[in-house]
Amino acid sequence: MFKLPTLLDGAMGTMLQKSGMAPGTIPETLNLTDPEKVAAVHRAYIRAGSHAVYANTFGANALKLKQTGYTPAEVIAAGIRIARECAAETGAMVGLDVGPLGVMLEPLGSLPFEDAVRLYAEIMRAGAENGADLIAIETMSDLAETRAALIAAREETDLPVFVTMSFDTTGRTFTGCTPASMARTMEGLGATAVGVNCSLGPKEMIPIVREIAENTRLPVIAKPNAGLPDPVTGEYGVDAEGFAAAMQELAAAGAEILGGCCGTDPDYIRALGNGMTQWAGTAGQRRGSVRTGAVCTGPVCLETDRVRVIGERINPTGKKRLQQALLEEDLDYLVNLAIQQQDAGADLLDLNVGYPGVDEVQMLPRAVKAIQAAVDLPLQLDTTNPAALEAALRVYNGKAAVNSVNGKEESLATVLPLVKKYGAAVVGLTLDESGIPDTAEKRVKIAEKILKRAEAIGIPREDVWIDCLVLTVSAQQEQAAETLRAVRLVTEELGLKTVLGVSNISFGLPNRLLITQTFLAAALEAGLTMPIVNPNLPEVMNVIAARRVLDGTDEGCRAYVERYAGTEEKKTTPGAEMSLQDAIRKGLRKEAGRLTAGAIETRGEMEIVEQELIPALEKTGEEYEQGKVFLPQLLSAAQAAQAAFEEIRGSLVKKGEKGTERGTVIMATVQGDIHDIGKNIVITVLENYGYRVTDLGKDVPPETIVREAEEKSVRLVGLSALMTTTLPAMAETVRQLKALKTPPLVMVGGAVVTADYARSIGADFYAKDVRDAVKITNSVFS
Amino acid sequence: MEERIRSLAEEALRYLGAARADRETHRMAEETAELLTKKLRPQYTWRAFRLQREAGGFLMLEAGIVLGGTLAERMLADCETAVLLTCTLGAAFDRMLQEWQARDMARAAVLDACGSAFTETGCDEAGQEIASRFAGQFLTDRFSPGYGDLPLTLQGEILRALDATRRLGVTANESCLLIPCKSVTAVIGLSDRMQPARIRGCGLCGMKENCKYRKKGETCGV
Repeated sequence: MFKLPTLLDGAMGTMLQKSGMAPGTIPETLNLTDPEKVAAVHRAYIRAGSHAVYANTFGANALKLKQTGYTPAEVIAAGIRIARECAAETGAMVGLDVGPLGVMLEPLGSLPFEDAVRLYAEIMRAGAENGADLIAIETMSDLAETRAALIAAREETDLPVFVTMSFDTTGRTFTGCTPASMARTMEGLGATAVGVNCSLGPKEMIPIVREIAENTRLPVIAKPNAGLPDPVTGEYGVDAEGFAAAMQELAAAGAEILGGCCGTDPDYIRALGNGMTQWAGTAGQRRGSVRTGAVCTGPVCLETDRVRVIGERINPTGKKRLQQALLEEDLDYLVNLAIQQQDAGADLLDLNVGYPGVDEVQMLPRAVKAIQAAVDLPLQLDTTNPAALEAALRVYNGKAAVNSVNGKEESLATVLPLVKKYGAAVVGLTLDESGIPDTAEKRVKIAEKILKRAEAIGIPREDVWIDCLVLTVSAQQEQAAETLRAVRLVTEELGLKTVLGVSNISFGLPNRLLITQTFLAAALEAGLTMPIVNPNLPEVMNVIAARRVLDGTDEGCRAYVERYAGTEEKKTTPGAEMSLQDAIRKGLRKEAGRLTAGAIETRGEMEIVEQELIPALEKTGEEYEQGKVFLPQLLSAAQAAQAAFEEIRGSLVKKGEKGTERGTVIMATVQGDIHDIGKNIVITVLENYGYRVTDLGKDVPPETIVREAEEKSVRLVGLSALMTTTLPAMAETVRQLKALKTPPLVMVGGAVVTADYARSIGADFYAKDVRDAVKITNSVFS
Repeated sequence: MEERIRSLAEEALRYLGAARADRETHRMAEETAELLTKKLRPQYTWRAFRLQREAGGFLMLEAGIVLGGTLAERMLADCETAVLLTCTLGAAFDRMLQEWQARDMARAAVLDACGSAFTETGCDEAGQEIASRFAGQFLTDRFSPGYGDLPLTLQGEILRALDATRRLGVTANESCLLIPCKSVTAVIGLSDRMQPARIRGCGLCGMKENCKYRKKGETCGV
């Protein structure tokens, strides 16, 4: 095991360049072609005093080495052997250096998370088999990729793992991850030390190191660049002495494993080592000093040190429209529920997709990915299915909350290990084999048991939240007071954060909101930290806003004042009633929805679709063709129509009637192509003509499109491509589709596609724009 | 409103073929441009490389990249040095666009176009910085993989030469598409002699077969 404080080495890449490595060479191949060049760098660092050197394996992954003919295993074996031979001189440790794969993971790019884990697993195995003393995952900028690497390291080896990411001057990584989120997520997943490397010079790193130190119990690593390189000369701006001096400040900010990155050389490390007696004194003093619980996503680290609202809306129990969306795998509907709650002020979102006929193991991780692509709020994964929970925890990008474990032996034994492995927070329900106890004291006992079991496997106490359980007051009146008492006891005696599903309290009573509001206020007073509520109800959020004023977390009452400023004046302007068609053509979503809801009371749903929605869309479409309205307006109208359709669907679902669908169309952006807004625009409009669109997404392999077309036996497939380099994938997809026994019609479009090209690859239609796509679809289904 | 935001909005609407849209749409574009410029800034990195004429084109010495083909031949004819440039709005833009698509597709389409225009202004800014570092020299027009016969496969090589994945978080996929989506790689030649504007009109444009402006007998103005 390594000792603290630790002196690491400096740059490898820039050193190899200086020693004459040919431009364009993949540096890791030198392990096999010119090992002496690599050994010289290691020896220089070891003689400069490094306690550990990183082997020349940064880019030794299957993707980057593909061109070279070498495998990661042989490059890594050679790299570690070279470092080991040099390290023998002083007994320095040898690190397996692991950098990014060089391609983007979903959702930004196309590499699936599990593929990344597999690629990293190959590297970690090779490192462990060849005797690395530790693993250094570094220069990462995507939290998802960093998670994949650390999960692979943990699953394949028992070695200590250092994890560092690169942050820019805005204090975030290139993908928007904060230092706090990085620290919380990586500590949860079992890193040995966390920190920052590359990208910045030592001075610019100070605030980042401080934020990391405040969010972890682990030792903090700092490996800055020697400033920034000059674009003309390639020289870095900070010299060895300046570097070593600035590093003292980084140590004071909390770093205790220090080294250098790009532009540093053995002189920098020697200077750093010379000052070590000074920095060793301050380093590590901050470790573990601040400790509040938190859950996070890359961009948002949410501490549980104050009242936080958990949105309850993504739960199909009693919600027909959501049940239908889940059965139809309509993830956009879930994303919209998430966005609504975010806008209404939720701090984290409960996510439950359990419903008969829904495969939770598939659906929960898909829902996590879809929501996380558009919404930054942390999620609380709500399921009783351990396989679904693990699948979702694996892909969840950040530190999740799990809802829930309870006092039953089976639950403790299955849920807690998953919470530990993926570093989540967990809600503990105060019930066990004998049900829900009727006194506060007995519920606290169960809470204690859950806490003890969690701590026994290494889940820190701040990550255990207790749900003292709300029972319906109209059925068990005396229990309301017991629940409140239990919340107070758990808060005061165990010092744990609490969660409550508040809305339950008022079930079955008239004027439910009044009971809910009053109970919520009382529970918050008793110490409740995280009410699970419907944030879309302003009355509920009013109580929260008031509470935040009274407990002082809304400093200067700013949020409260902002919430209510101007509400007096906000009156709807009365005026001439607008027609539904006008509302759609003007793109007024709320108005279109409201007018449709009104119209449903007197007219049939289908009549409204045929006499109002379609004619309004047609008129806008015609004006678009004539150049009187333009794409943004066309889309606004489509969305207003969507709001109207949503009312109609809701009404039909309530009556148990079949939908308004005119036919199913498959849409996809072809393999290799990741720009899909054009395809999404077409989908938005098609859906408003009553078509059901199966959106296969972007970068879709031909086989997936063919399989889907065959399974759903659709009549029309729409394909989009944006780049000349992806046109061959479009041609191949068309070829495979046309080879089916009953081939679908194919429409193609996208920036580089032409009518001639469409003909040449055997497509049936070329859609030059969104309006054209609608006309083609109408002609196919007429 | 700042002139910079207004011109960004105008440029975005032009990309969308909606320059003549109603006032409401113009206002939406201006709001979008304002939000975007408040939230993000284009980031760029560049480096100068010496050129050496070889049989296959120009070898960029410290990068080990060869710029072949007739476009490079024309553009760099008078140059002994050339700059490689990468500019990006970063992954935050991709996230923003994703969220906006879920909220409002009309605004998302406008945001997408604003993002393209904003990235171009980042390249212009980099161009000015380069010009000031090489005072007394003349810059050629900026040109990119995909223009004329300059192959898209250069995207990845340019990223490597600039260490742009590490420095800016930009990657290229197997189809040579850059991720994050609003990212550009480019080449600018440096010469002792005055450089004419060579990239004008449609001759070099990869979109010329399918350009919506050309179909209407107009040009995009580049």
